[in-house]
Amino acid sequence: MEKATGRAHGAHSTETSRPEAVFVLLLLQSIFWMVAGISALPFALGGELHMIALGLATLMVALLVCMVAIGVLWRRLWARRTAVGLEVACLAGSALQLLLPIGANHAPVTLLTNVVVPAAVIWLLWGRTTRPFFS
Amino acid sequence: MYSVNPEHAIGLVGGLLALPIALIALRFHPQWRSVPGTIRAAAVLMAVSGGVHLALIPHHLATEPITSVLFLLNGLAFIALAATFTWRYWRLASAGLLISTVLAYLVYVGIGFEGPDQVGIAAKLVEVTALGLALVPVRGESGRIHRSWRWATLCVAMPMLLVITGATVWIVDLARPDPRHIHAGALLQATNTVATPAQVDAANRLYAATKTAILPYEDWHQAWAAGYRPGGSTTLPSTHWMNQRYVDAGYVMDPQRPQGLVYANTHHGPELLGAMFQMKGLNRFGPDPGGPMTAWHEHENICFTPFGFEFSLMTPYATCPIGAIDISAPPMLHVWIVDNPHGGPFAVDIDSSVVAALDRS
Repeated sequence: MEKATGRAHGAHSTETSRPEAVFVLLLLQSIFWMVAGISALPFALGGELHMIALGLATLMVALLVCMVAIGVLWRRLWARRTAVGLEVACLAGSALQLLLPIGANHAPVTLLTNVVVPAAVIWLLWGRTTRPFFS
Repeated sequence: MYSVNPEHAIGLVGGLLALPIALIALRFHPQWRSVPGTIRAAAVLMAVSGGVHLALIPHHLATEPITSVLFLLNGLAFIALAATFTWRYWRLASAGLLISTVLAYLVYVGIGFEGPDQVGIAAKLVEVTALGLALVPVRGESGRIHRSWRWATLCVAMPMLLVITGATVWIVDLARPDPRHIHAGALLQATNTVATPAQVDAANRLYAATKTAILPYEDWHQAWAAGYRPGGSTTLPSTHWMNQRYVDAGYVMDPQRPQGLVYANTHHGPELLGAMFQMKGLNRFGPDPGGPMTAWHEHENICFTPFGFEFSLMTPYATCPIGAIDISAPPMLHVWIVDNPHGGPFAVDIDSSVVAALDRS
């Protein structure tokens, strides 16, 4: 995703496309959270009252991730910092879940959504070469 | 849905092999450095999806020749588009192919030609990501870039495809579970299909012994004194009371020391519904004296939260609500000492109407 030059199809000058790639990944993650939040709500109807709070909190996180995605797209420094922090927390949580013997799922989709996507976001936003593009 | 269909595992291998090949081969493309990184990433992901589709052909060839042909065309189209990312209509063609591939998968899953599994869902995630990367407008792009329709397609297609895909595979998985997934999130122990007379006798003996042993716990104070504690919210229709000492000791199907008791939470206090035996470790089913009558079950991929000890189910995208973690519970076997008309004395669940009737009584 580094700087590219040239005039081919979709060519661009000195800009990086990393923020746009991060926007796509964060949008994806935001939808995952949204689905998780919505899926918790029916359990509240069965009497699990705490699930209402958890479902709503998850929907708020989905909204936050969506706003961070837009912030990254607009090259805002706060959004870059928040995104990196959020993904580091996601990775740490996923590592705990995958390493502890609690019977957590280790299937390909789990690895994609909980490890590959956060790691890719961190990789795309990390480093001194990316930082100058954010203000 | 949460496991890899062994027949589809080769698709994962195909995708993983395609990834380094695409990364290396596409670097030799003369225009590789001149296009935005998002387009390069989309091209690589399409090559991965192409690898998955091509790898699945041999398995389907004998039984589903039409599907094999579709996989071949799809795989070749993905690889061709991955290699022609400088083509003028590349973006339009890629978006069309990616969207139609995801929708075709959903049709296949919906009508039962394919069962939803991890390879299918992972491939769709890769394709939706590729769609987003192909469409997202990048700063500094020159020429006719159709920014507005790209944003519109991206912001509508990506969420819609993900929500529809998640909903479809989830509904299909719940509506058409395989014979061992008796209800959402529970995997049943494999047994013979019809109980033999000896197995019926053994099941009856287990039932009688367990019922006699736990009858004193009809008074919940006795259960409390014996070390049983509510293992979840008492606002639910029923609650499992667990004896941690018996759980830790690992007694195996001991009627005198069941790891759990199940109480209905009625308006006049806890009413004993039955006992629950639990194994100590995951994936190790207990002894099965009654064959299909006393098959154990294991709860897989439940999103468990310590807040009120409540749970929901993990989504097809492997996510749980905030504050919940994905766990699987060791195998368990219930013995219901109240009449359970829809499942019998060893059913996975107690009939909700039985619990409601107890509450009304």
